[in-house]
Order: sequence, then C-alpha cells, then structure tokens
Amino acid sequence: MTRLVHYILLVACLLPSSCMKWEYGLEEDFDLSASGDGLFICNEGNFQYGNATLSYYDPHTKTVQNEIFYRANAMKLGDVCQSMIIRNGIGWVVVNNSHVVFAIDINTFKEVGRITNLTSPRYIHFLSDEKAYITQIWDNRIFIVNPKRYEITGYIEIPNMTMESGSTEQMVQYGDYVYVNCWSYQNRIIKIDTKTDQVVDELVVGIQPTSLVMDCNNKLWTVTDGGYEGSPYGHESPSLYRIDAETFTIEKQFKFKFGDWPSEVQLNGTKDKLYWLNDDVWEMDVTAERVPVRPFLPYNGTLYYGLTVCPRTGDVYVADAIDYVQQGMVYRYSQSQELIDSFYVGIIPGAFCWK
Amino acid sequence: MRRVLLILCIALIPLMSIAQEADTKDWVRRGIHIDGVTVYGNRPMKEIGTQQTKFDTVILKENIALSMADVLTFNSAIFVKNYGRATLSTVAFRGTSPSHTQVSWNGMKINSPMLGMTDFSMIPSYFIDDASLLHGTSSVNETGGGLGGAVKLSTKPANARGFGLQYIQGVGSFKTFDEFLRLTYGNDNWQVSTRAVYSSSPNDYKYRNHDKKVNVYDEDMNIVDQYYPIERNRSGSYKDLHILQEVYYNTGRGDKLGLNAWYINSNRELAMLTVDHGNETDFDNRQREKTFRSVLSWDHLRDDWKMGIRGGYIHTWMAYDYKRDLGNGIMANMTRSRSRINTFYAQADGEYYLGKKWLFTANLSLHQHIVVSEDKNIIRQDGNKAIVGYRKGRPELSGSLSAKWRPVDRFGVSMVIREEMFGREWTPIIPALFLDGVISKRGNVVAKASLSRNFRFPTLNDLYFLPGGNPDLKKESGWTYDAGLSFAVGKEGIYSLTGSANWFESFIKDWIIWLPTPKGFFSPENIKDVHAYGVELKGNLDVALTKEWQLGLNGTFSWTPSINTGEPRTPADKSVGKQLPYVPKLSSTVTGRLSWRRWTFLYKWCYYSERYTMSSNDISLTGKLPPYFMSNISLEKVLVFKWADLSLKGTINNLFNEEYLSVLSRPMPGINFEIFVGITPKW
Repeated sequence: MTRLVHYILLVACLLPSSCMKWEYGLEEDFDLSASGDGLFICNEGNFQYGNATLSYYDPHTKTVQNEIFYRANAMKLGDVCQSMIIRNGIGWVVVNNSHVVFAIDINTFKEVGRITNLTSPRYIHFLSDEKAYITQIWDNRIFIVNPKRYEITGYIEIPNMTMESGSTEQMVQYGDYVYVNCWSYQNRIIKIDTKTDQVVDELVVGIQPTSLVMDCNNKLWTVTDGGYEGSPYGHESPSLYRIDAETFTIEKQFKFKFGDWPSEVQLNGTKDKLYWLNDDVWEMDVTAERVPVRPFLPYNGTLYYGLTVCPRTGDVYVADAIDYVQQGMVYRYSQSQELIDSFYVGIIPGAFCWK
Repeated sequence: MRRVLLILCIALIPLMSIAQEADTKDWVRRGIHIDGVTVYGNRPMKEIGTQQTKFDTVILKENIALSMADVLTFNSAIFVKNYGRATLSTVAFRGTSPSHTQVSWNGMKINSPMLGMTDFSMIPSYFIDDASLLHGTSSVNETGGGLGGAVKLSTKPANARGFGLQYIQGVGSFKTFDEFLRLTYGNDNWQVSTRAVYSSSPNDYKYRNHDKKVNVYDEDMNIVDQYYPIERNRSGSYKDLHILQEVYYNTGRGDKLGLNAWYINSNRELAMLTVDHGNETDFDNRQREKTFRSVLSWDHLRDDWKMGIRGGYIHTWMAYDYKRDLGNGIMANMTRSRSRINTFYAQADGEYYLGKKWLFTANLSLHQHIVVSEDKNIIRQDGNKAIVGYRKGRPELSGSLSAKWRPVDRFGVSMVIREEMFGREWTPIIPALFLDGVISKRGNVVAKASLSRNFRFPTLNDLYFLPGGNPDLKKESGWTYDAGLSFAVGKEGIYSLTGSANWFESFIKDWIIWLPTPKGFFSPENIKDVHAYGVELKGNLDVALTKEWQLGLNGTFSWTPSINTGEPRTPADKSVGKQLPYVPKLSSTVTGRLSWRRWTFLYKWCYYSERYTMSSNDISLTGKLPPYFMSNISLEKVLVFKWADLSLKGTINNLFNEEYLSVLSRPMPGINFEIFVGITPKW
C-alpha cells in the first residue's frame, strides 16, 4: 500500500500542469469627446458563439478601433449584435441573442447601464428619455421600456401574430405614431399610437419587408425580400414600396426580378436619396418614379451585407461579411463612387450607427 | 459535495482493507498477464494496410459515466468539440468536419441522415464492447463518405454461464447520479444480456464568468461597481436513459444469430451562454430525443468462407423547444421543432478464402431514410396555419468488392472498389489500395500504405432544410493517402511495447459549409477546397514491474494541418492558405495505468493546441481559445468475496481545477468528483 502511494505521488509529480486560461480582459481608457464624426459598426458575430463586437471608425483620420466594447469594459458584448442608436450621448446597443440592450458612453465606450431579459431584441426606438420601444423576433410583443431605469415597463401585443412567428423590426416615427415593419413570415407594416401603446392600423405589403425608413417628404420606404423557394408563406418577386405616412397607403411599388434579394434600405443625410443592396449598391432619388437602370456601385465580387450613408458627407459605406467567419471588410466610397478607404472590422458587420 | 465524497471514501477504506487479504492470494497465484506481441505472420488478412486504432475493454469500461466522446477525447488523437458537460460532442477526424466521420453500430450507420454527424455524448461507452477507429482510407473497407475516417462500434456476447448480474452506482458532483445494471444469462448456445444506464444531473456547476459583469447601481441608476459573477451553469440539466437488449444464439455448427435493440430516452436542457443576460427561469431551452435502434443478424461460418446478413431499423424522434415565460407563468413557444427519422437497413456480406494467400470479400448495404422535419409553426397570409419543414426519403446504397492477397508472409496487398448511390445519384467507382510489408522481423517492423478516392453526399438538411436547403449542392470528393510504420516488441508476461507513425494527406473538394445569407437564414454551399495532412503517432507500453505491479502507458499525438485551399470568396478574404476554424493542429493524449494487486490508479491527460475561431486565423480578444490541457485521475479497488465481487472507484475530473472553454461562450466544469460502487453477485 505504501508503495502504491509512493508510485502515485511519483506519477502526480510528473503530471504536466494545465495551461489553458480563460482570460480576463483589461479595461482600456478611450476618450473621443474631442473628435467629431464617428461611425459605430455592429458586428453580429456567429450565432451561439458570443463573439459579437463593436467597432469605431473615425472618417477624418481614417482609423478604426475594433472590439471597443470589450476593450473598454473588459467583458464581451454578447451574441449577435443587431443594431445601435444614439440618444443624448448614449449609445444603445441591441444584442439579440444575449437578451440585452447595453447603454454605453459614446466617447469612452464604457457601459452606463443595460436593459436585460428581453426575448430576442432587434431595434430600439426612443419616444422620450423615459420611454422607448424595443422590437423582438420570436415574440409577438414589442417591449416598452424605461431607459432611465433600465426597466421593462410594458408590452404592445401585435394582433394576428403568434409568438413563434413573431417578428417586429425597424421603427420610424411620424407625429404620435410609430410604424414598424414585420418581417419574418410576415407581410405588413403596423402603426402604433404612442399615446395608447396600441396597434391602431396595419398595411399589407409584400412578403417579408426587411427595413423601414422615412424620407424628407414623410414617405415611408420599405423593401421586401419576397420569401424563399419552398416557403409555405409564399415566394414572390421582392418590391420596394413608397408609403405615405399621413394616409398610411402605398403610393408606389417598384418590383424587382423574381429571385432578387434586395435589403438594407437607407437614406442620406438630407433624406432625399434612397440606397439599398441588391447584389450591387443602388441609389435613387426619393421622388423617382422608376428604379435606376445602372447601380451606384456595381457588384465586384464583394458580398455586401451592410450599408450606410454618412449623413454629413454622403459617403457610402458597404460591409462585406466575406465568409462570415472572419473579420469583415467595410468599404467607403465617395458620392462619385471612388473608393476612399477600406478597413477590417469584426465578424459579420451588419449594422451601422453614426455619432 | 466534496465533503460527502470524502466521508464516503473514509467509510469505504476499512471495507477495502478487509477484502484485501482475500484477494491477495488469488492475485499472487494468478500473476499479472501481459499479452504477447502479435508477430508479423499473424496479421489478419482483412487488415492488410489498414490504419486503425482499437479501444480495449479497459478503456471502454472505465466508468459508467463516460460517453464515447470522453473515450475519444482521452484515448485518441481525434479532436472532440465539446459544447459542455453532457451536451453535443462532435469530432474532427484528421482535420475534417463532424459529418466526415462515418459511425456504425453493429454494422448499421448511425450518423444522422439530416445532419450527417453523430453526437458521441449520446453513446455510453458501457454499451460498447468493441470500438475501433478506421483512419482515412481505411474507412473505405467499411463504408463510403468517411473523408476523415470511420468509427466502428459494436456489441458482442458476454460469454456468460448461467445468470449474472452487475450493478454499479455512481454519485458525483453537481448532484450527478449514474446507474448501470446488466443482467446476463448464457449457456452453450444462448447468450442474453440486458443493459441499462440512467444518468441525471442538474449539471449546475459553478464557474466565474469572465465574459460578463454584474452592475451595481445607485439609486439614480448610475453604475457604482461592476464584478465578474460566480454563476452556475444555467439550464444545463440532463436525464438520459439507455436500455440495450441483446440475444445471441450460436448453433455450435457455424451459424450465429444475434438481436441487438437499443433504446434511448434523453431530455437535456441547452445551457445558456456565458453572454446571456436573460433570466434563467424565464426561458426553457430543451432538446429531447427518443431513439430506438435494432439490428438482427445471421452469420454463417465455414472453414474457408462465411456470409452474413443483417437487417435493422432506427426510429428517432427529436424535439427542440425554446420557450419563454410571458410574465404570467405561461411558457410560450418561441421555437418548436420536431423531427422524425425512420431508417430501414439491410446488409449482406461474404468472405471467401482461396487457400491461405487470397481473401475475397463482398458487401452490399442499403439504408432507406424517411425524414419528417417540422421546424417552425407559422400563420400563412391567408390566415391558416402551416409548418415550415420538409418530408423526404432517400435510399443510400453502398457496395464493395475486395481482393486481398498475401503471396508471402512478409507482404500483403488489398484492393477495394466501392460504389454508392444516394437517391438517384451514383458516385464514380471509389478505389482503394492497401499495401503492407514486413521490413524487419526483429521488432516486427511493418510498413503500411494506402490510397483511396472518396465521396460524401450532402445530408438531407443540406439539400432540403427550410429555409436555406440547397438542392443544387454537389457531393464532396477527396483523395487520401497514408503511409506509416509500426513495430511491436515484447516478452510474454514481462512487457510489450508497440508503436506506430503515419503520414497522411487528403485533398477534399467542394467542402459543404453553411453560411448566413442576406435573407437572415443560413444556406449551405460547396465553397471550400481543403488540404488536410499530418502525422499520427501512437504508442503503448505494458510492463510487469514486479509480480504485483503493472504499469500501462498509452499515448497518441497528431499534427493535422487542415488548410483552406479554395479561391478567395471576395477580394478581402484572408482565409485561403489558413487552418480551418475549430480544428486544432496539434492534439495529444496520454493514459497511464498503474496496478497493484487489485488496486488501479489511472491518469488521463489530453492536449489540444489553440483552435482558431476565425477562418483567417486572426486571434481577437473576443475569439480566443488557447491551448487546452486536461487531467483526470481515478483510483479503483476490486474486492473479491465469496458471494460477490465489489468494485469501488473514485474519480477526479479536471484535476487542476482549470477555468476553461472548449467552445466560445460554453464554460466547462472545474474540478469535480464522482465515486462508483459496483457489485457483481456470485450465485
């Protein structure tokens, strides 16, 4: 028995010690209060891997800082960074599969608070300092929150929508009404009365409207993706819709070819030009009666995933997710379609937010 | 929990001492057995040129809590991608993807026809009596599609005489309970066995979450402090039941009949990520599975030929539910998916020896899959309900012919041709050539080499899953060759030392990968060409140090670069020429076993080099998976009484209490313990 113990001790001494460390982050100090414009890039990361990140690009110095949330806070942003907006110097970063919206200081990137326990948040829209809506996927409710207290205060139930096929997306406000496009296995824009937090109207468009903006003439624009082959919900040619916000009626439908995949409708700073992705990058005046024949930026082997237009300069930024498991690339083009800059960001750059 | 274990260990020590006397005499009388070395002339004809790793009973039956994922992790150079304790465990064999490893149980393929892969955490090692890995080309002897290789699992008769019973109970950390019962009956003709394993645990191990901080707010909701929380593994409980019924009948005149039926009932929660800020009680994320597998076999053996016929059936019901509390206690479905798979299996094979120099084999197998996949419930535009999913059937036919020739004892050659049909599509002929030759009789040094072509068809989900299935996918194809040397030296009863070193190289085209699309869902594409190559080393040493002491050492090492050699996907693509993500270049295992009389001390160690999480091999702060060392130990004592054999075992997993991740955002447990008590009555 004693020999056994000796042998065991001998073997134990020879054991290689373990070396893998799940590391802690180090907090880094940033201070961009002196800088002017800036662009936040939401990098989704890979679903279920928790590797979403936030990047920050300074258009003047053409420098990019990646993983700024992690570096400033020594913790991860989460799983699938979906969108971001800024209000009063605070950035609100929606992290879909982490069930959270982080509030960060837009100059130091430090967290100032968070709204947790959301179902599957997609976008946040502020009605006031103390009231905001947060849309969800896989939930038939829009969450009402108090951003000051980081609390969920209520819900808006969406009629004729089940939990499983629940999908509410981007929001724009016109007067007392907030309009929301309903995307996954949906085909409508809903209208919410912000005084009663009730859905008061809805407008059927095509299959799966993916995005929603409002131009300088108070016209809503949405683009549908048309569903997919074999979908029991249907598969059709996608369309771009111009909707009058006042009357909540479709004014114009621009049809795409069957099989096209338009997405990411965006506006420039003066809200008189519309941009979207459909293999190429397209640009159109909001008053145009037909879709242009030639794209703004033709397809050049780059798989565009995200799109934004600088509200001040009109520069167009397009994100290439490449193979979706490496750092994506953002290309910056001038209004004359010249490549000004390109820079690597995080995995799957999908959304942008201007400072 | 640790205190309870300590008390139990102290309580068991006197019992061990009492029994020690009894078994000492028996052990001294019997001595320690070390197998002799297989000399070159005894190499089986069927294994000419093949590279395989066999797992012996000691490894498979180490403890009842182990799954085949654990066995592969600590005893082979295969990388096991483990999503947590008792959760999905897939393998990367020679740097390939999980669906490139074909897995069979008693001859029947058990890869999911929907996903292509096998979850090794769902295979209790106590249910497997024979397990071997067929590396690369060697898999063509058994099946097609094994671009990485194949894992062959089977059961065999217990060789019982009369009634037998074995019961083992394990109690471990995190309120883990493992139970194993085996009933056997046997005589000259019949062997009957019933095995059952039941494992359950809340699996709520503690860990410090490095990915997340908890905020402390003042009254005005300003953050005044932040800290990394010590959390429990949230929503990770499991309850797994396995029952295996076997009946064998041996006529004694060269005919054997067998029936194997395996039932699985699994209910596992899917643990929350480290970066999840949801409330654990508000979400229920759960996967359930009920699977029944059965194989009926008849083997007809004669002096110089044999034939076998097998028939089988698999039924799998899988449910995935993701629910959340609406605030009123009602859990509403966010996702409710169901799938049902029915597989019918038939196989015939034959072997014919022509003299001592020729062996001819033929094999034909058919798997007919019928799959119903219901992924999502929606409301259509007309207001009616509909289900997003697919219903498909696919026959998978695979046949092979081989001729094996050993003109002299020192040299053998084997030629295999295989052809497969999936649905209506045929592969070209899959050829495989195997050679082996004895270089030196002294040391039994044998050189082996093999070369094969191989194909893998897309899975049913690859083709038909809604949304995203791509019916235009091409089958993956590959060329593989390997070459190596092995040796074996030893002295009967004193020591044996074996080892092998192999080089392999594979070129895989049209590798299928699921990628997100701008439409918000994933879709598979044939986008990559991959060049996988490397070295595999294996060694085994058994030494009888004295008449009472025995030392066994087993080690593996592999270096497996798996390089993307395709075209850049876009101009900014940095992945070409880089290692595939989540495939380590280096892996190694060491198992040491020290026995004294009826005591056995076991030490297991494994190592994986850094796994990249990006195809560009960039290492970011948020995507880092550093190298991984893990050590487990166990101490076992067998007590022999007149009325029963008792076994007592204590194990310590994660000996150095490492805080580590195998996959991003999936924490692994720290140091944990389990004790096992087993009884085998004698009557």
